[in-house]
Amino acid sequence: MSPPANDKLRYSLQTRLFLAFGVLLILFLGLAGLVLERAYQESVEAALRERLQLQIYALVGVAEPDGAAFYLPDTQEARFSQIDSGLYGFIVDAEGRERWRSPSALNLNLSLNLAEDDGAPQIPKVGKTLYGNLSLPGQGELIWASYGTYWEVQDQQFNFIVLESSAPTAAQIREFQSNLYLWFGALALFLLVAQLLLLRWGLRPLANLAEDVSAIESGERDELQGSYPVELVPVTRNLNLLIKRERERQQRYRGMLGDLAHSLKTPLAVLSAALQELRGGANLDGRQRHDMEEQLERMDQIVSYQLKRAVEVNRSRLLAKPVAVAPLLERIMSALNKVYRDKAMQTRVEAAATVQFFGEESDLMELCGNVLDNAFKYGASRVAVSAHQEGRTLCLTVEDDGPGIAPDKRGWVLERGARADTVRSGQGIGLAVVVELVSAYGGEIRIDESPLGGARFSIRLG
Amino acid sequence: MRLLIVEDEDLLRAKLVKALEDGGYVVDSASNGKTGLYHGLEYDYDAAIIDLGLPQLDGISLIKTLRQRGRVYPILILTARDNWTDKVAGLDAGADDYVVKPFQIEEIRARLNALLRRAAGFAKPALDFGPLSLDTTARRLQVNGEAVELTAYEYKVLEYLMLHPGKVVSKSELTEHLYDQDHDRDSNVLEVFVRRLRQKLDPDESLKPIETIRGLGYRFNVSPSKR
Repeated sequence: MSPPANDKLRYSLQTRLFLAFGVLLILFLGLAGLVLERAYQESVEAALRERLQLQIYALVGVAEPDGAAFYLPDTQEARFSQIDSGLYGFIVDAEGRERWRSPSALNLNLSLNLAEDDGAPQIPKVGKTLYGNLSLPGQGELIWASYGTYWEVQDQQFNFIVLESSAPTAAQIREFQSNLYLWFGALALFLLVAQLLLLRWGLRPLANLAEDVSAIESGERDELQGSYPVELVPVTRNLNLLIKRERERQQRYRGMLGDLAHSLKTPLAVLSAALQELRGGANLDGRQRHDMEEQLERMDQIVSYQLKRAVEVNRSRLLAKPVAVAPLLERIMSALNKVYRDKAMQTRVEAAATVQFFGEESDLMELCGNVLDNAFKYGASRVAVSAHQEGRTLCLTVEDDGPGIAPDKRGWVLERGARADTVRSGQGIGLAVVVELVSAYGGEIRIDESPLGGARFSIRLG
Repeated sequence: MRLLIVEDEDLLRAKLVKALEDGGYVVDSASNGKTGLYHGLEYDYDAAIIDLGLPQLDGISLIKTLRQRGRVYPILILTARDNWTDKVAGLDAGADDYVVKPFQIEEIRARLNALLRRAAGFAKPALDFGPLSLDTTARRLQVNGEAVELTAYEYKVLEYLMLHPGKVVSKSELTEHLYDQDHDRDSNVLEVFVRRLRQKLDPDESLKPIETIRGLGYRFNVSPSKR
């Protein structure tokens, strides 16, 4: 059940930090917005209540009982006199019977059935004020305050009730809300962008490190260079050390194998020369000598082949530096021209200066050396090699004007190459090494007929 | 033909020296690069065989130094490390051919022959001069298509002269290339060989192939037949 874990791993550090901080930011801003909104609403409502209370006091101050009713000659607040103004005043007795209503409330269809608890104004104790909300058809939301007073002359409690439309307040709150959310939204956006930029800046050294490592992988650089923040310095230092050690190890390994080859081959050479001296001697007949020579040659080939294989298997392309192909081909061509000077070959090398091989130089040398040696050996007068690049893949073509290889023999030639530890004496291990190298680099090799008339080897590497 | 062999493995060097001396070459040998360089600069060799893995001075540096100091004789490299990096490095440094260890003595002989021949400008195994044809592989002389027997020393003298046609070769140069250092060098013996060669090459004295330049030496005067 590892897929979920893999999914988690897929998020980059930047994404993780961005998501985590982003969620935190939105939560924080959202909560802060709610708290602010509530506080504002409460303060607005408190102010409204205070205003209603003041209106009531004003009414109480001017109220004059007139028999069963009340008479309020001057309400001071103009809105009480203006019909449907949104501010309404009532005076009711303790039983809820209406004793006065402000002119503004003449159209108001309000039955002050104070007993029923449907949001309608209640009757408080004397000296107390009650508040509430009420919804009336045609009037919308109303907020009311009800204040109980005791009139000594009548020896009776009267309640002063003031209702005011809460629409302006609601509008005020809504405006505050929309302002609040607009600003908080802008703030959130700004903070998110800033966070993204900060993360980029903060994680830049990591991205640089990744770039440097890939530059080493592609061989553009030898080691991690540039200055890194202190937290990364131990990592880069150790990486550099590791790369250096690995390069040295590979070099030592090659050197060791070379020494091993040298120390095995020289005794073989001595044995072989000693055998020559016995030629014609009576101690050994021709058949015996032939057997010994053959065995010596086989030993030699096995040593060569296995040593080459050992080098090939121990290959790390990761740390290889790119090799310029054209000069290498020219060097091999001029070397082979010396060796096969009698043939006076016309040679042609077609490779742009930019063509590179991503791998070990010695491997490319081995591969080209063997294939070109073959071409010089079998070619009559012309050998051509061309190289081009497709991405990181190196494409080599080597052709000659020799007798070529018959189509039905081509597979066999490569197959024999692939099983070189079984070759009979007298056959070189050159092609075996080529086939081995090509497969070590995950490449392919094909043989067909060259326009020059001979064999054409097409090799793709990497 | 005077050869220099530089090889650090004593047994192998001894066997090479013996095989090549048996083949009629005069052979000097050295067991390390420094001695090899001393010999290579001091004496005028016809060819050198140099192992790549040498103590004190490696084969590549030895070859480079010899070439830098103007020594142009052909060089055959021996290498135990059968890889192209080493071969190309050796050939790049100035060697002319390579043989991979272990090898058959015949192969060394054949490569040497070819190198000596090429150094003299001959592309084929036979040195052809008009009616004269010297097969350097089989070591046989033909005059007008008929085989002529030569002694070992007669062959050596003729081969050396034929490989330096048109050039005045002093008696001391000839002896140096035909004899060991400790050999008794009597120039009268050389004159005897040359006289006998003249009789075998040119019985009716019509060709006059070997000219005596008084006080200087000999000159082979027949133009080589081009292919």
